[in-house]
Amino acid sequence: MSDQAYFSVSDLHAYYGESYIVQGISFEIKEGEILALLGRNGAGKTTALSAIARMQDPQVHKGTITLDGQDLTGMKPFEAARAGVQLVPEDRRIIPGITVEENLIISQISEPIGWDLDRIYDHFPKLRERRSQEGVTLSGGEQQMLAVARALARGIKLLLLDEPYEGLAPTIVKEIEGIVREIKEMGITTIIVEQNAVAALKLSDKAIIMESGEIVYAGTAQEVLDNKELREQYLAI
Amino acid sequence: MNSANSAFYKKDILPVGAFAAVLLTMPFWFEYVGGYSGLDTKIVIWIIFAIGFDILLGYMGFLSFGHAAFFGTSAYFTGLMLLHYSDNILPAIAVGVISAIIMAFIIGFLTLKRTGIYFSILTLAFGEMLHSMVLSTLQDWTGGDNGLTGLPTPMLFGLKMQGDNVFYLTVIVAIVMYYIARRIISSPFGLMLKAIKSNQVRLEYTGVHVARYKLMGFVISAVYAGVAGALMIVYEPYVASEFMGWHLSGQVVIMSVLGGVGTLFGPMLGAAFMLYFENVVSVTIGEQWLLVLGAIFMLTVIFLPGGFVEAGSKIKKKLMGGSK
Repeated sequence: MSDQAYFSVSDLHAYYGESYIVQGISFEIKEGEILALLGRNGAGKTTALSAIARMQDPQVHKGTITLDGQDLTGMKPFEAARAGVQLVPEDRRIIPGITVEENLIISQISEPIGWDLDRIYDHFPKLRERRSQEGVTLSGGEQQMLAVARALARGIKLLLLDEPYEGLAPTIVKEIEGIVREIKEMGITTIIVEQNAVAALKLSDKAIIMESGEIVYAGTAQEVLDNKELREQYLAI
Repeated sequence: MNSANSAFYKKDILPVGAFAAVLLTMPFWFEYVGGYSGLDTKIVIWIIFAIGFDILLGYMGFLSFGHAAFFGTSAYFTGLMLLHYSDNILPAIAVGVISAIIMAFIIGFLTLKRTGIYFSILTLAFGEMLHSMVLSTLQDWTGGDNGLTGLPTPMLFGLKMQGDNVFYLTVIVAIVMYYIARRIISSPFGLMLKAIKSNQVRLEYTGVHVARYKLMGFVISAVYAGVAGALMIVYEPYVASEFMGWHLSGQVVIMSVLGGVGTLFGPMLGAAFMLYFENVVSVTIGEQWLLVLGAIFMLTVIFLPGGFVEAGSKIKKKLMGGSK
């Protein structure tokens, strides 16, 4: 791990059409760190994440996004994916019409390739059980697993998790937490967007709080956990 | 991966073997069901066309209304080669198919950015553009409305390409191309086509350069159309301007839907059915045959959206259920 920023966003401005959502945010992450991106509904967290993954929407009007020395800013979605960014979106984005295993295989068609199928199945035995079932027929938690597994099937440098606990039963949340903990142990640089801030903070090194498209607080995750006032003001927890 | 590959091979033996057996024995049984020599060749040619069309429509999910452009381009170039260069079919077919590939790159590049109805309309527009060029601007080369006439008898190294010779040539080509299509479908590329059909945007986020794969799928289906177009000229050395027209594009769509898209087998069945209906059943029914065909088409789409293949699996289910 070096001291230099592995991933950085500087002065990022992102729009959905005319709506000005992300209003000039800047932050840095070192290799292997986990960053919790927090804030209330509508603060611009998911938009920021989508912009980093270079999705067609939102449009980035200004700013730069750099990962491991590569400038992602002008990249198309598939180019960003090849550069090592993998987004696990809130809706999990499993490809319909094909099986669990095919969803994994398809992630391994273009370089760089990460985990092979055996390693994935060893970590996610449930997916092995359901390998020939259509991906979208899995339960929410299993789909979340598949989405994470699909990201790991690629050679990734930056993992983006958008509300990984959203809408899941408490037992599943535990399982997902276990997966995130493993991701942390593997040293994959990660950004977690969460409203359920405590769960995310416990696993994170750094924390950023967004409000109305701007960063209102940046510090360590522990500081946010310790500072009740801060949490009440911005996160209502 | 090797063991998986050999499994794929085994999976192909039975269907490809059955396909080959049915086609190769056609001359012996076809006349007993009212068919005649020549019609069998035509059916095989359309089967090739339909296989390629299914790769595009059934697997990739793109409905082209302009596939006559590739059938026709190849037919014209094959005809021109036979007329001006040599009566040997090999260079003629090669040039014909290559011309279809080039055309597919151009049209595919311009149309595949759109999906759904916009893609369909764009392909229709390009197809009709070529059709009208054949009839007007290019008529000095294409013979305009009269078509390209006066072609010599096609030859293959001293062998006259007529009757049975053409039939067996097309059958061999069809078997090979059916096998290739099956391999394409079961390959990672085939998986990619399926993923494009269900969700292009999601596929793109896994790092796949979707536009490139779409173009490849489109060009592959055009190769099948091009081969069919070239063989049609070998079968009957005359290039009709209709080979470029929307009617022909529509025909392959109807065949595919009738038979059941996304099954390879369905569109082949649809092609055979339509030609059989058009040339054999129509004689018994008389002038109303198109009306009957239209009714069959509507009933199929309404009650069996999966086409003949769906009908087959439903009957099978019933029989199996009944035997219990």
